[in-house]
Amino acid sequence: MLDFIALQAGFDLLFSDASTWLVVIPGILIGMLFGAVPGLQISMAMAIFLPMTLYMDFVQAMLFLTAIFTGGSFGGGIPAILMNIPGTSSSIATAFDGYPMARKGQHNLALGIALGASTLSVIFGYFILLFLVKPISELVLKMGPAEMSIIVIWGITLIASLSGEYVIKGMIAGFFGLLLGTVGYGEAGVTRGTLGTSYLLDGIPAIPAMMGMFAASELFRLVDTQYLVDDSAARRVSINKIFSGFKSVVRYPWVMLRGSIIGVAVGAVPGVGSSIANLLSYIQTKRNDPDPDSFGKGNPTGVMASEAANSSSEAGSMATLLALGIPGGGATAVMLAAFSMHNITGGPQFIREQTDIVYAIIFANFGQAFLLIILGLMFIPVLANVVKVPMHFLIPSVLALATFGSFGLTGNLSGPITVLIFALIGWVFKRYNFSVATAVIGILLGAMAEESLIYSYQISGGQWSYLLERPFAILMLVMLIFSLFGGRLVTLLTNKVKTNV
Amino acid sequence: MDSQKNHFLADLFVTFTIAGIVVWYLIDAYTASSHIINLILILPISLMVLTLCVIEIFRQISGKHKAIEKPEPVASVIPVISLFTIYIASLPWLGFDVGTSLFIAAFLWIHGERRIIWVLGYAIAFGFLVALFFSAMLPYPMPMLILPG
Repeated sequence: MLDFIALQAGFDLLFSDASTWLVVIPGILIGMLFGAVPGLQISMAMAIFLPMTLYMDFVQAMLFLTAIFTGGSFGGGIPAILMNIPGTSSSIATAFDGYPMARKGQHNLALGIALGASTLSVIFGYFILLFLVKPISELVLKMGPAEMSIIVIWGITLIASLSGEYVIKGMIAGFFGLLLGTVGYGEAGVTRGTLGTSYLLDGIPAIPAMMGMFAASELFRLVDTQYLVDDSAARRVSINKIFSGFKSVVRYPWVMLRGSIIGVAVGAVPGVGSSIANLLSYIQTKRNDPDPDSFGKGNPTGVMASEAANSSSEAGSMATLLALGIPGGGATAVMLAAFSMHNITGGPQFIREQTDIVYAIIFANFGQAFLLIILGLMFIPVLANVVKVPMHFLIPSVLALATFGSFGLTGNLSGPITVLIFALIGWVFKRYNFSVATAVIGILLGAMAEESLIYSYQISGGQWSYLLERPFAILMLVMLIFSLFGGRLVTLLTNKVKTNV
Repeated sequence: MDSQKNHFLADLFVTFTIAGIVVWYLIDAYTASSHIINLILILPISLMVLTLCVIEIFRQISGKHKAIEKPEPVASVIPVISLFTIYIASLPWLGFDVGTSLFIAAFLWIHGERRIIWVLGYAIAFGFLVALFFSAMLPYPMPMLILPG
């Protein structure tokens, strides 16, 4: 499974020249900054700094870009925990329990857990990649549009099931979000729901909508609050507590393992990636926990599950990029650009002929994870001071930051306007118990769901029998049905057996 | 008791509004094109939302809803929403630099901050520094009044 000669060559590439590593620390810091500032995306950071890689050799360029990716995956969790703003769509589930933990004064612990889960799962994810890069890429090729459609519907229903006693409202929110995600110019060549404005031709900007629904709406609710953490003693920034949170992840090996496997597997699927991986991992952890009701109220394993999945999904998306030459998302698309800038083409031939470079990239990421621990432990205490800022300073600052960030994403005022409108929608949804998270996932996946359905329809010629030719799709459909009704079925059968006995 | 009733009515209103928007969107999409490609997702999902809305409305009317926790008073949220709306609307004229500084200063003043140094100092420093950072980072021009876009 391992090519030991290439492994040795990979080591030589990495350690023969110390200057190769000089770009890693700036890369992680840039990634953390862009991940932590709402509106600045990891892919944006990589695109901005891509021209610099022209002056580096290929391995150094990949080290720099993957360092940004690694730093950004963790950075996105920081505002999710401290301000309920997922810095990126892959940190949505981190906010579910991270933010309630911060409000209870457990911000140090939550940030430490996020760092621990992120770094360990990066190592674990790349460890899987080291052995399974080829099988993963073969599996990815089996994912067609029919499977993608099922994944989206599965994601929405699963996340709606998190709404506790408001499941129907959760599903309304999720499917309403899906519809909003289809607004704009459709595949049939017509526009839907644009109200005649050109701003909506490309659809509703999903990330600004997410910022409005999560962050701005929450800030409206906190307007009468003095501080993010009410108890003044709990506002203290403690490096010991951060470190204790960091260490605590090893006490939950199954949560970490499950999150990392989900992250790598889902992260490898182009277009889905970490946005879904963190939610799936969160849902599975909640389902397997003896106290599922504590989730959403500040359960540390919720943060762990989410961060483990979004960080390890980096390895999954790298598998697709290296083995197939297909970028799974914005960040890997920039990496693909770096490939072509250095006249390298990803794919089976690249893996076969340049195995040493593949191993060098994988081992470099192990090193990056350790550097992230050091840099994270240095910078988290500074960032955690956010809880000491009075809310009347924090609220306008974060609202303004979201406005800047949304403009950065769209390049025009449609971003800030979207933040405003979706802040109002989010506030109304939260007030009347419609799940904001489900609606956001719907908006993020609406266009992709429609596209996948259309492709399935075109490939199948409208014949349902097409599904029977897709065993992977059938398997996923069975899993979807089981995840929805399996619990009840098992209870029903158990009760029947008990009655008979 | 009145606030419970108001909340219940508002809850119903929100569900009806969602259903209304979905009906409007479905009609708009159908008017644009009745081809299956155009409606392949919109039609089934709309029907699903409408069915769920009907179930939810019956659930609410039949009293299968819990007593609500006291939500934050609307009166304290309205000024913040209004100020944020004015801020976003004024960006094309005031720019991100001055607009942000004024928004933060107004917010601080409304929420009881009377130390002029803090109000002006923080608002101007934050507004201009963040505007400068983003204008340096973003590849396209930003509306600015004083700083270069």
